[in-house]
Amino acid sequence: MHALEAVDLHKTYGDGAGGVQALAGVSLTLSAGELVAVVGPSGCGKSTLLHLCGAMDRPTSGRVHVGEVSLADLDDEALTQLRRERVGFVFQFFNLLPTLTLQENIALPLLLAGVEAAECERRARASAERVGIEHRRDHHPGAVSGGELQRAAVARALVHEPALVIADEPTGNLDSENGRLVLTLLTELTRQTGVAMLLATHDQAIAAAADRVVRMRDGLEVRDTDVTIVGAVAPSS
Amino acid sequence: MILFRRFIGRALWRDPVRTAVTVAGLTLGVAVVLAIRLANTGSVRGFERALDLVAGRTSLELVGAGVGVAEPALAELGWLRDHGRVSPVLDRTALVRAPDGTEWPVRVLGVDILRDQPFREYRLLQITEDNLDDVRPQDFLELLVDPGSLILTEQFASRHGLTLGGPARLVVGDVVHEMSVRGLLRDEGPARVVDGQLALVDIATAQWLFARIGWVDRVELQLFEPEAIDEVEAKISARLPDGVQVQRPAQRGRQVENMLAAFHFNLNALSYIALIVGVFLVYNTVAVSVIARRREIGTLRALGATRGRVLRMFLGEAAALALVGAGLGVPLGWLLAQGAVRLTSTTVNTLYVTSAATVPSLGLADLLLALGVTVPLALLAAAQPAAEAAAVPPIDAVRQIDPSARARRASRRPQVVAAVAFAAAAWCSTRPPVDGLPLFGLAAALAVVLGAAMLVPALLSWLRRVGRAPLARWLGVEGLLAHANLSAAVSRLAVSVAALVVSLAMLAAIAIMIGSFRETVAYWVGQTLQADLFVAVGDRTPVGAPLTISAETEAHLASHPQVRAVDPFRNVDLPYGPDGDLIILGAGDFEVLLDHGGLLFKAPADARTAMRAAVDADGVVVSEVFANKHGVSAGEWILLDTPGGRRSFKVAAVYYDYSSDRGLVVMDRRTFARHYGALRPTGMTLYLEPDADPDLVRDELLAAAGADTRLFIQTNATLRREVLRIFDATFAITYALEAIAIVVAIMGVAATLLTLVLERRHELAMLRLVGAGRRQIRRMVVIEATLLGALSQGLGLVVGFVLSLILIYVINVQSFGWTIQFHLPVGFLAQSTLLVAATTGLAGLYPAAVAMRTSGGDRER
Repeated sequence: MHALEAVDLHKTYGDGAGGVQALAGVSLTLSAGELVAVVGPSGCGKSTLLHLCGAMDRPTSGRVHVGEVSLADLDDEALTQLRRERVGFVFQFFNLLPTLTLQENIALPLLLAGVEAAECERRARASAERVGIEHRRDHHPGAVSGGELQRAAVARALVHEPALVIADEPTGNLDSENGRLVLTLLTELTRQTGVAMLLATHDQAIAAAADRVVRMRDGLEVRDTDVTIVGAVAPSS
Repeated sequence: MILFRRFIGRALWRDPVRTAVTVAGLTLGVAVVLAIRLANTGSVRGFERALDLVAGRTSLELVGAGVGVAEPALAELGWLRDHGRVSPVLDRTALVRAPDGTEWPVRVLGVDILRDQPFREYRLLQITEDNLDDVRPQDFLELLVDPGSLILTEQFASRHGLTLGGPARLVVGDVVHEMSVRGLLRDEGPARVVDGQLALVDIATAQWLFARIGWVDRVELQLFEPEAIDEVEAKISARLPDGVQVQRPAQRGRQVENMLAAFHFNLNALSYIALIVGVFLVYNTVAVSVIARRREIGTLRALGATRGRVLRMFLGEAAALALVGAGLGVPLGWLLAQGAVRLTSTTVNTLYVTSAATVPSLGLADLLLALGVTVPLALLAAAQPAAEAAAVPPIDAVRQIDPSARARRASRRPQVVAAVAFAAAAWCSTRPPVDGLPLFGLAAALAVVLGAAMLVPALLSWLRRVGRAPLARWLGVEGLLAHANLSAAVSRLAVSVAALVVSLAMLAAIAIMIGSFRETVAYWVGQTLQADLFVAVGDRTPVGAPLTISAETEAHLASHPQVRAVDPFRNVDLPYGPDGDLIILGAGDFEVLLDHGGLLFKAPADARTAMRAAVDADGVVVSEVFANKHGVSAGEWILLDTPGGRRSFKVAAVYYDYSSDRGLVVMDRRTFARHYGALRPTGMTLYLEPDADPDLVRDELLAAAGADTRLFIQTNATLRREVLRIFDATFAITYALEAIAIVVAIMGVAATLLTLVLERRHELAMLRLVGAGRRQIRRMVVIEATLLGALSQGLGLVVGFVLSLILIYVINVQSFGWTIQFHLPVGFLAQSTLLVAATTGLAGLYPAAVAMRTSGGDRER
């Protein structure tokens, strides 16, 4: 069974003649432990594809399965539960809550799932250590660097051991050095944890680190290329 | 709870100014509501406490129609002794002149001591120089049968330097009586009434002192079987002769309560404005928080927070603010109540009753009430923004959001709500009162306020469309930037501007209403007060036994060569209608009034002829208030209780009167004498010869009356000034309440501007980078604040005008029953417009200072 299966996804924003078609029939599958990069210029629909796959939005037509669950059959509450339990997110702008410390931000998915406080803390601490920010755990987002913020976001995305991680331009707001570090982290963690990761980027070099690349233009898939991973990941600057 | 503390609690803590302003707004709102409630309760309770202590163990009392019970009628009531002990009482007010010449009011209780002792707990402290702890009734009797004997409370005597056995002057009306203090009462039972201001005399002495020989004010009855009171009351009622009624002492308290109901109701309603403005601030805080944190909410939703959880968190924010506000508001309310009692007691004592009002102590009930009102209101206010937060889709975590664009798309809905609210207001303002209270009128006012609030986004959008060019032209680049900033924040500003609009509209409405009322009263005074001199004894005594003018004084006044005509008048309080509302029954000389006076008649067209015809025909004229309250028109008949039983009187005419909202029925003095007996007048109006100098005549009359005189003679001009002074004192608290609401609203605008400044700090830093000076930044923020103030005042004036129409033509008529002629106080409104613009501009200084600091800091970084 695939970790993610998306079939013939269409998405149109707005109604009638003024509507904007963001996706015009895209299909995609992801297996556990696989990292797939979606690449293409701005406005090609890659973020929309990620939102639909991550149960953040609904397609105009087409269907999405996360594991055995068909998202079309779920109401808002069930979609929320699915996101909470089976999906992790890494955003371009980190999206850490400014009033929470990094540790508390990392623990957020567990807290929302009703995990008891001590367990939340233990797992968040382990997750923070895994991404190398244990020394920043008690800092607020305003007091740490962009690279550390994104590492905290990666830790948050993985803390509840999801089946699927959606990463939308995870290095888009970082300098090249931090971008490289975060990408390395993502690929390593994908291998280590067996999570399926769908990553959007407009940078061809970053895509080189992925198992597969989905190229998009004007809401359509252009080509699906298999990439052989050789040695270490070497993202472009 | 952990998430609430981290997500909401910390955000509130991180924005201390806005949080503090919101809490302060709520605190003030709760405090004002509670203060007015406590003050109202205090004024009624003060009277009731005095009533209870004086009533003692009295179960029932027999009262006459306004003027008491005649002793011949008493003689026929011997059968009352089958039911219990009986004690006749004369209950009056007089002044005791202390050795230092000061005069202090006392309640004089004239009783038959042998019969009365079981009723009240008198404990004599002393009756001679030697202490006697146990005084026999006989000693008491001996003491009281001496007509010069006066018993005071120990507290009163020591306070005013009066000693046992020493002289005391009792001033009754315009007559001074030499008495001697023959006993002192311990500070318990009735002696505690109105702060010890009680004097005891024998009933015969009281009748002589107060010129009521042959009359008592009431007969008190202490039942042998108090538990059978209902049955006994019915039996007694069935056997009583015409003109005498049986009632429970508490009835008098209820009459006072009814009398004050409309006054208190309006004060209560007014006090809720401050709370509503405070609740607006809660809406503001939650709404701004939802708008500003939309991406964070989206993130929470993306990470798995349900809609319900988001909703609960933001409702929790409102509840937390309300809890703190109410908690702080309760003690502040108690403090404010002390001030409110002083302010309202002027009105209550001037217009209604004299009582020693004290603020009741705070109880758990007050705290529960404060929470019970504030928390639900705050939750209601936060419901819409919280629901908006819950509706934030997870995708907003990554979307570039333009909340103002969102608001633009949704901007039609508030206008529809406004239209519905205005239509509802129009309908409500045509509905009649409910139980004498203007509930629909207030609903109409609330609907107008809601409609106005809903128009604010449209108004701000209008500013966005038309303001750019003029602001840039008049105020330069700062004006242009201020316009750009406000335009980008319409939805954030809408709520705080709405709160300010509502407060300013209420202020404008109240100013127009009071201005109109004042003009109407001034016109009425000008038309009605035609006499040259007005004579009264002592100060006004609103309810209870009034002070009277003696026959000698009356003759002395009438005999002055420059006095052309005299109208002695007498007012008594009379229960009227099924609820026993206390009305004022007045007696005057109709012919003098018609020839010299200037009553303003409302109906019928030939009112003067009708009034002249009423002199010998049991006719009366009634005030507009009486006519409105009791649904009476000219030409109809009304039933009044008289000592001889219930009698019909024809309403000859209805006239305008603003001296009392209790309603007046006036009959010619001869008609009055026929039904109520000859009573000394409580006041006189003197009409002078055309060439007379009123001040000179006044001085001559006072000089002839002697230095000791209790007469107050006012000229026409001074009385008119006095009427308006009392009027202004009455409405002082109204302005005080409104001022608080406006302060809260202006704080709200400042807090919103501060939020905007903090959110725009990068933009401000950019402005500094491209060359904007600190002063320019400050000027820009102050222009924004002033613009918001001016805009709010503009809409506030329009809405205030509409509200004032509801206040004048619906709420006032239904509460008090009088017609007010519309008058626009242009000067006051112009002044307040300038003041509001200046104050909001000043309130912008703090956000401006923060803007300067922030922009500087960011630039450096």
